[in-house]
Amino acid sequence: MLRAAVDAWLPVDQYIGGIEHAILHLLYSRFFSRAMRETGHLSVSEPFAGLFTQGMVTHASFKGADGRWLYPNEVHLRPDGATVHNDTGEAVTVGRVEAMSKSKRNTVDPGVIIDRYGADTARWYILSDNPPDRDMEWTESGVAGAYRFTQRLYRIAEAVLPRAADAGEARATRELLRATHRAIAAVTEALESFSFNVAVAKLYEFANAIEEAKTASGAALIEAVSTMARLVAPAMPHLAESMHALLRPDAGLVAEMPWPEADPAMLRAETLTLAVQVLGKLRATIEVPVDADEQTVFRLAEAEENVIRAIGDKPIRKRIHVPGRIVNFVV
Amino acid sequence: MSDAPATPPPPRHDFRAAEPAWQQAWHDRACFVVPDVPVPGLPKYYVLEMFPYPSGKIHMGHVRNYTLGDVVARYKRARGFQVMHPMGWDAFGLPAENAARERNVHPGAWTYANIAAMRAELKRMGLSIDWAREFATCDVGYYGQQQKLFLDFWKDGLVERKESWVNWDPVDGTVLANEQVIDGRGWRSGAVVEKKQLSQWFFAITKFAPELLDSLATLDRWPERVKLMQANWIGRSEGARVRFPLVGRPDDRRAEAQPSTEDLNRAGAPQAHTIEVFTTRPDTLFGMSFIAVAAEHPLAAAAAERSAAAAAFIAECRSMGTSAVAIEQAEKRGIDTGFRVAHPFLEGVTFPVWIANFVLMEYGTGAIFGCPGHDERDYEFAAKYGLTITPVVLPPGQDAASYALPGRAYTDDGTIFHSGFLDGMPVVEAKRAAIAKLEAQGQGQGVVNWRLRDWGVSRQRYWGCPIPVIHCTACGPVPVPDDQLPVVLPDDVTFDRPGNPLDHHASWKHVDCPRCNTPARRETDTFDTFVDSSWY
Repeated sequence: MLRAAVDAWLPVDQYIGGIEHAILHLLYSRFFSRAMRETGHLSVSEPFAGLFTQGMVTHASFKGADGRWLYPNEVHLRPDGATVHNDTGEAVTVGRVEAMSKSKRNTVDPGVIIDRYGADTARWYILSDNPPDRDMEWTESGVAGAYRFTQRLYRIAEAVLPRAADAGEARATRELLRATHRAIAAVTEALESFSFNVAVAKLYEFANAIEEAKTASGAALIEAVSTMARLVAPAMPHLAESMHALLRPDAGLVAEMPWPEADPAMLRAETLTLAVQVLGKLRATIEVPVDADEQTVFRLAEAEENVIRAIGDKPIRKRIHVPGRIVNFVV
Repeated sequence: MSDAPATPPPPRHDFRAAEPAWQQAWHDRACFVVPDVPVPGLPKYYVLEMFPYPSGKIHMGHVRNYTLGDVVARYKRARGFQVMHPMGWDAFGLPAENAARERNVHPGAWTYANIAAMRAELKRMGLSIDWAREFATCDVGYYGQQQKLFLDFWKDGLVERKESWVNWDPVDGTVLANEQVIDGRGWRSGAVVEKKQLSQWFFAITKFAPELLDSLATLDRWPERVKLMQANWIGRSEGARVRFPLVGRPDDRRAEAQPSTEDLNRAGAPQAHTIEVFTTRPDTLFGMSFIAVAAEHPLAAAAAERSAAAAAFIAECRSMGTSAVAIEQAEKRGIDTGFRVAHPFLEGVTFPVWIANFVLMEYGTGAIFGCPGHDERDYEFAAKYGLTITPVVLPPGQDAASYALPGRAYTDDGTIFHSGFLDGMPVVEAKRAAIAKLEAQGQGQGVVNWRLRDWGVSRQRYWGCPIPVIHCTACGPVPVPDDQLPVVLPDDVTFDRPGNPLDHHASWKHVDCPRCNTPARRETDTFDTFVDSSWY
């Protein structure tokens, strides 16, 4: 039973920790799995199929007039740009940004952050700033920005609710649906490659797209926000549940829902850009529908002002179309 | 720094109410619980973050680590994987003992109270962890299994007992970890630390050295940087073992200037009257300037017997930290033993034998030949003591007649010169040619050397996993029998004096030998805490 469990679950698919353990801890673990293999306790040799080493969290350090290190919550920034002690008002020296450590007192207590902004904000901020294998600097303005985004997402969910029955415009609706599927594809790709900061950036873009889709149908809006809830759920699981419960109160927990799938048809571009040349010289660019036939492409190209001028009254001897690339007129 | 508004606007999303409520909902629905054996036919995914040490508070590094893991776990779960995402505590270690000494609180009580506080903080983060699987490495259910593994490894030849050097605080009468030696002194007593040999338990990690190195190539989802660090630590190097005949001092034929046969036998050389060195650069043998041996080398001991200065230098080396870092960073220093060796290729030419603080007894043979022209460390040493420096590798594009070293060693590739039969060869070819000649002369052979050492796991501490062995004067070290496992740490210990409380305990170590039933002594050392974190 135990052996069956061990063999079925091992190896660890993704191990995550600090680079400071890159040598001994990992080497000893790799020795142990081999020694356990030799003594019949398990079958694998390598305990960790995937390893990710995260960067450190850094923060500016502060030193008082008396040379003692000060905690970040003991100082504040005056409107004139000076950093001063909260109690004495005395100027404070702003030291280097470095790894949080008790000795430099440049630590921020996660408990205080969660009290003030919630766990989702802390999680979102820590993912958003930098690629996860690099160091990230913790700033108050950064965490406040993350907090504002959590509130903004919830307001977006509240705002679409009364519009659920709106018929909306076809074009705006289609645009929003396409933005939704692009977000699914981009976030999925980013999560697969541990590019969590990229996923965050794509979700900011998607939030903008939803807010801009003022005339989309109610159904498309609900679909977009519901998808948003599922896409942010790995990073902000509580907010995701709250948004989803608001829109689809009977649909169960996001934590139990499958990941949204991007529809490839929705990802395909609807138009493409062609260069138009006259005698090999670029005269214009045109937007044509992806499925436009050759006659339509030539008609659109020949209608361009600059092309008309370049051709003048010379007869067109040859029309060349390289699909997806260029149109060239030989005169 | 508070550059944000003092009070945030009232939240639209009331996270203070919502976050605990959703955490409860996930718990009620057992969203993150997985079976012991995954359901067949469904893909599995095991996400693990390094277990935290229960210091008492979580810090932002933890928040980052566990957020990253939770994103992966939640994403994979949504993608249809059965996700194993557990949490535990790497809970043995020195800070608990320090707390016990400073605040008169039991290490166990201190540790479990810290775990409770940190668990509550972690739970507030909303991590999708199967908390039913939580454990601490100081739980007897865990460390008892570790004791069984140790005995299995021992039976399989993967555990050895060897003499090894430790940092010894002569005032406190205790062994110190490297980080407890500060500027050569004990961190509590301030006494000058000595090196002392103790019999300790080792895991035979070197038996797996080739596999541990080769298998790195299969780890395609590891950072290249980490794989490189692993490879460097394992440190495979190809080179040669070279035996130098000892000749005493050619300019001084007095008997006491030459090592006696007794000295030479003690030197443990494979052939009498020789010093054996390991080198990765046999191509530079013609650039030789000296031999340097470790302070613990038998020839150093022989030198100490005839020279008070050598004896004092050896004692000084012993007070240096035992860590490789301490040794690398220390100033290169040495003392001439008066012994000399003959060069294997140069008829009638001899070189001095020094004791040097940068040569490690544990690496190679505990002796090196110094080629200052092409090794930074040797250059530093030779420059300091006025030893000869002869370049024998000519950098590309340089003229052999006019070339001089640029005030430091040249360690890159080039063509061999000033080197008799090796002249004109590239480095790689010269290595092969030098080894072939040494082998033909019976003075050496090509070998593979590993930097990796066996893993010493004995620690003279209380708050760790007891090593399940009983020492009997008649039977030697005997495994604790299965029906007496686990060996449980006694709770009634005191921290009012230095040293290991398990050793001071009135009764714990007094047991009968499981083999011959005569009074014997229980092992009072515990495992290095790296053992605990090697298999959680």
